[in-house]
Amino acid sequence: MLKKIDRSIIPQPKEEIKFNLPEIKTFLLSNGLKVLFVQRDFLPLIRINLIANCGSSFDPAEKKGLANLFAMMIDEGAGEYNSLELSEEFELLGSSFSATCNHDNVYLSIRALTENFERTLELFSLIILKPRFNINDFQREKRKVEVKLLQQKDDPEEMADLLFNKVIYFHDNSYSNPVLGDETCLANINLEDIKNFYKDYFAPVNSQLIVTGNIQPEKLINLLESNLSSWNNINKASSAKFGKTVNTSKVYILNKENAVQTEVRIGHQSEKRQTPDYFARTVMNMILGGQFTSRLNLNLREQKGFTYGVSSTFSYYKYSGDFCVSTSVSTENTFAAVNEILNELKKIKDGVTIQELDFTLSSMIRRFPSQFESDNQMVSNLSLLAIHDLPLSYFNNYLQNVRNVTIEEVNKSALLNIRLDELSIVLVGNRIKLLDSFSNFSKGTVQIINENGQIIE
Amino acid sequence: MKILNIEYEKYNLSNGLQVILHQNKNLPLAAINIWYKVGSAFETRGKTGLAHLFEHMMFQGSENAAKEMHFRLIQEAGGTLNGSTTFDRTNYYEKVPSNFLELALWLESDRMGFLLPALTLEKLDNQKGVVSNERLERYENQPYGLAWEKILAALFKKEFPYSWPTIGYLEDIQSYTLEDVSTFFKNYYSPHNACLVIAGDFDTDHCKKLVEKYFESIQSNSFIRNDNIEKPSLEKTIYLQYEDNVQLERIYLAWHSDKAYSNDDAALDTLADILSGSKNSRLYKKLVFEKEIAQDVSAMQISGKLTGIFMIVATAKPGKDISEIKQDIFDEIQHLETHGVIERELLKSKNGIKASFINSLQQIDNLADHLNSYNYFLGEPNSFISDLNRYESINSTSLKMVASKYLTQNYVELIVKPLKKVC
Repeated sequence: MLKKIDRSIIPQPKEEIKFNLPEIKTFLLSNGLKVLFVQRDFLPLIRINLIANCGSSFDPAEKKGLANLFAMMIDEGAGEYNSLELSEEFELLGSSFSATCNHDNVYLSIRALTENFERTLELFSLIILKPRFNINDFQREKRKVEVKLLQQKDDPEEMADLLFNKVIYFHDNSYSNPVLGDETCLANINLEDIKNFYKDYFAPVNSQLIVTGNIQPEKLINLLESNLSSWNNINKASSAKFGKTVNTSKVYILNKENAVQTEVRIGHQSEKRQTPDYFARTVMNMILGGQFTSRLNLNLREQKGFTYGVSSTFSYYKYSGDFCVSTSVSTENTFAAVNEILNELKKIKDGVTIQELDFTLSSMIRRFPSQFESDNQMVSNLSLLAIHDLPLSYFNNYLQNVRNVTIEEVNKSALLNIRLDELSIVLVGNRIKLLDSFSNFSKGTVQIINENGQIIE
Repeated sequence: MKILNIEYEKYNLSNGLQVILHQNKNLPLAAINIWYKVGSAFETRGKTGLAHLFEHMMFQGSENAAKEMHFRLIQEAGGTLNGSTTFDRTNYYEKVPSNFLELALWLESDRMGFLLPALTLEKLDNQKGVVSNERLERYENQPYGLAWEKILAALFKKEFPYSWPTIGYLEDIQSYTLEDVSTFFKNYYSPHNACLVIAGDFDTDHCKKLVEKYFESIQSNSFIRNDNIEKPSLEKTIYLQYEDNVQLERIYLAWHSDKAYSNDDAALDTLADILSGSKNSRLYKKLVFEKEIAQDVSAMQISGKLTGIFMIVATAKPGKDISEIKQDIFDEIQHLETHGVIERELLKSKNGIKASFINSLQQIDNLADHLNSYNYFLGEPNSFISDLNRYESINSTSLKMVASKYLTQNYVELIVKPLKKVC
């Protein structure tokens, strides 16, 4: 006979878990390159991420897309290897290499088995020190970007993100630069620009190197010194602008013929990562739209069934940040969904409950150990410190900082950081139907924009 | 390779529920992962997408855990959770701090045994709305988003259960009744049709007691499904076209291939890698790098419990001829079939696969899912080494053989053309 159990009792933990934070080591190479390292010996794997602070926000106004094209060009052949040969050297080791670019940085990364690390690092260093920048490769990669720009127009999510960024930053802030650039700018970029970019901006002094994995620190330092110390490029001053603009509330519609859904982005500029109320605003946002059980998602998804999901985020660049609510809803429900979102933004200013606060703090505190599971997560954690100049003790103090957040701070943060009269509302969808339903919208004028963010109607 | 030898203990409860335990004390975490042996291939025409609907309904509360409680309790515990559906199976998983293992087991057992008492029309209607939106967002509104279901419908006869997409058709999603949901649940969400994997930091004896406490008393049904499925084939090559809101023309070529973990499955995987997996892969190098007639190309072996599909997809650059791309693809296949591959190509592919195997062991929830997958397909959870050996043993002859056996047969060709602009 099976024992009958009382299933109505929610099981509670009997003991606390023990978790030891991994130790972060830092060192400086002789060429000024700063290294952040965490040794991890669970598996025979090593990862490296080079973060060079020369992303697309530094692109000259008439050559937007330069940093991205530079990142695409840097592994097109190096030293004695042409593009295909270089790739083959990595492939033979089972190692992977990638070069990417965003608004702040160019990232070069490798992943290798420990047994192949030394050779992989040699190839990585060759890319950093002796990229070939061959004209044929340049032309091919540039044509690739031209086609990517076309393809981007097909993707309503990408277009919505891109246009949101454009309308909240406008032209007087370099974060309005699209990473890929645009057709006109791309035509202005030549191989000489890539070579100059490499020489003038891609430098150890404005870069940091993140390493995690299965290697002793002494051995790592020696290998890095011997491979990378001759990298001595300079870093010239740039003309990037990071001024703050305050927008008034407006609706921007990009027409997407035959679209059955509307991509929605609602938000405004915000502060950079090192803001004193970071923890309070993070908690506030978790309650508003930063988790599955957030107010926004429970309302729009679980009560109304309007959407597959909705979320709000504070995103952080090095010199700025933004607040954005993001969702995708059917055309018919777009107007109702936008109004529900605006209601929730208004309502959070009336304050959160102590239950919401306790729930969120508990979730953030208990989730902490699982942020240190994979090499990938560890690389992201260290990159976060590097990109935003956070102190090395950041993770040591994290739990205390979360615990210290009070309800007063959360409520104050909602009042300060959700600014209803600055909201830009970007809608990518069926223009005629959207214009129709938004004709009586009281929260801002409605404008039709094109794919470059210019107002056409 | 020693690190790929994953130790485990496997046993059955008296109701037939399979249990697999794997201890790993790297971090104070526990992963709970349940596979139900039901996926979209178990549905019937007119009610497609029902298996995937469960991925939603299973989070709508059960007798002792109200709507949203599952999310709330796991999140409050600092855990993560989700589920996913394929042709062949549905999985549900949580990753929690190890001291919350019991909470996760309580929640999983409550919905395995007591979902129906909490089922209401209101919940069903709400999730029908959510799933309809999921379909609109992820398929209808995506560039080329409907290509996959058009290929499935052409490749398989109507009765073959891979002939419809896992998400289901919109009109079917909107037709589900409470009766549909409860019958499907009674048939498939039974302990004897499921396998529970627990991986991570726990005490084995204690863990076994908890599993017994929460799962042993759940009754199994006696439903047995009759699988009597013919091997699919194509009598002739099928050519399809449709217009979509896209800038670039794209071609899809799909062949019938072999099922998951069959003799030819790994060879087809390797073939796909050699065709398009890297810069030096044959099709990438020729179409994207040298001739620049395609913006991208990818080959893949997609295999399930019943059968497999080998697919090649290429997007034409603006103004480039899709038939030239197609010709190049077929030339390359023919070349492979006649001449095989060189040792260097095989070595690259094998080294890449080995590295990705090791990389996949990093997160305890991934590992738990792998154990369940091997158990479902092979009956042996610890199959990492034998799985890797499938790839290690491939040579040029086996690649020539699969190219000839599958890729010279009839196929489905789908061309997606940019919508003509009406100005």
